[in-house]
Amino acid sequence: MLEKLLELLTEAVPGIDFEKETALVDDELLESLDIVTIVSEIKDLFDVEITVDDLVPENFNSLRAMADLIEARMA
Amino acid sequence: MSFTSLPFLGLVAGAVLLYYLLPKKIQWAVLLAVSMAFYAIGGGKTIGYVFYTALTVYISGLLLGHFHEKKRRAPKEERKAVAAKYKTHRRAVVAFACLANFVLLYVLKYWNFTADLLQPLADQGGVTLPLSELVLPLGVSFFMFQSVGYVIDVYRDKYLPERNFFKLLLFVSFFPQMVQGPISRFDALGPQLLAQRKLDFDDLKYGIQLAMWGYFKKLVIADRAAVLVNTVMGDPWSHGGGVLAFTILLYCIQLYGDFSGGIDITRGTARLFGIDLAENFRRPVFSTSLTDFWRRWHITLGAWMRDYLFYPLSLSKPFSRLGKFTRRHIKGKLGKIIPTSLATFIIYFVIGIWHGANWRYVAFGFWNGAIITASLLLAPRFAAWKAALHIDDKAPLWRLFQMVRTNVLVFFGRYITRAPRLLTAVWMVKQTFRAPQLHQLFDGTLLTLGLTGGDFLLLFLGVAVLLGAEWHQEKRGEIRLALETKPPVVQWLAILVPLVVLFCFGVLRADYISSDFIYKQF
Repeated sequence: MLEKLLELLTEAVPGIDFEKETALVDDELLESLDIVTIVSEIKDLFDVEITVDDLVPENFNSLRAMADLIEARMA
Repeated sequence: MSFTSLPFLGLVAGAVLLYYLLPKKIQWAVLLAVSMAFYAIGGGKTIGYVFYTALTVYISGLLLGHFHEKKRRAPKEERKAVAAKYKTHRRAVVAFACLANFVLLYVLKYWNFTADLLQPLADQGGVTLPLSELVLPLGVSFFMFQSVGYVIDVYRDKYLPERNFFKLLLFVSFFPQMVQGPISRFDALGPQLLAQRKLDFDDLKYGIQLAMWGYFKKLVIADRAAVLVNTVMGDPWSHGGGVLAFTILLYCIQLYGDFSGGIDITRGTARLFGIDLAENFRRPVFSTSLTDFWRRWHITLGAWMRDYLFYPLSLSKPFSRLGKFTRRHIKGKLGKIIPTSLATFIIYFVIGIWHGANWRYVAFGFWNGAIITASLLLAPRFAAWKAALHIDDKAPLWRLFQMVRTNVLVFFGRYITRAPRLLTAVWMVKQTFRAPQLHQLFDGTLLTLGLTGGDFLLLFLGVAVLLGAEWHQEKRGEIRLALETKPPVVQWLAILVPLVVLFCFGVLRADYISSDFIYKQF
């Protein structure tokens, strides 16, 4: 799942090292437009429901955080 | 009561004295009393609107808290069912808070504009639409947005509601931010307003330094630029395109000095009470795109729109359905980003008309929305061009080009907001290119527009100091922190020198009258 997510992220927002970065939102590498694009891609690819309440920096600061969010929503 | 008036300084001085001299338990009540006094003097009878907004969000918060408590008290295995049971109720409460405030805001700010538009239709039915004669309350867009944000946050379980009406009223009406924001969040501001504090000289020092910087921007730069801007815009048709472009450039400087200066005074005043208000500007002149500009300009409004409008809209069912449709029918990246682009356009359009009911603001929203949406849609094409031209995103020259490009776009956007009418703005842009009459910039014409040669020199020096300071902040961080490493004498000089500059070159001169803050009208 992590690999699929990484591929999705790299295609949605090129030029960011998603494997290394751990403060994607806090360091403003991802902005609101990117987050919404990523969320719609995630919803489409993993068939999970992500709501507005999930759109907090903690859930999008790193690849791991996004993967955790998806896993939590799949459960 | 203007921030630039002596009564305001007196009120702040008195408030600081009372705040630190009276028992700590009632410090928040001192702030509330001063806030009420400030609003009663500045807004008069419209203080009723502040109570109305506070009451609507107070009741909404309590109801949401009640439903939250029901869920919390339910056995663990039943919590989901209880949450589902009250979902509609909770949504109804948020809808009530939004409608109660935004319908009123609409009537106050936008109804007359709508009525003018609809009157020709109404004429056919022989109906005359009534016009609102209500006075626009001071800071209404700011305190209503801030208050509705509180209810939505409580709905999203970000924090529990405030149960003391007067404490919530203080959050709604905290006096430094009643003129032009910033739009604060309850979890950031609420605890600070209610905290019990000892006098901290650092707070006083930082507060005074920040407020002084704000007064410098407002009184030395913005109000000086305003003299020429008001003269030319009073009769734009008599001027050549070069003078008009120069005026709009000065208006850009005026607007930034005025709004960001006002916010510095607001934040500096709050700091005197140990309160850190949200940052509202982050050196927008260094923006590399229009999106970046809106992340640096009026930050709290942009953040409000992002959290409470853009995210919900983008993730709403209609937008999800639109996304599925465009992905199916339009191949490639375009199909994926159309819904986001549409939501983006709507947000910037709303930001435009947030400023007021006028075709100029509609056009301003359209201008920003259209450019940002186009840049989103064309991003893949631009990326391909950049790759073909071997452009390095981090190269200083490329960044400089991006900054110049962004400032040019902002500059043309300001034609729209400053011209007396939308059609005049279009004419002014045409005049800028068709009849620039550049000689007017050098033949002394500019000296007939209200400012002397000395004023131009001061304006130039003021802007140079401003840009120099912002450059330092952008590259090396806060000047205030750099000052901390200097001896106390230097730190106090940093307060005293600007004070002397303000007294010598600010609007305290008899031939100027300090103009009101531009964003006060919004």
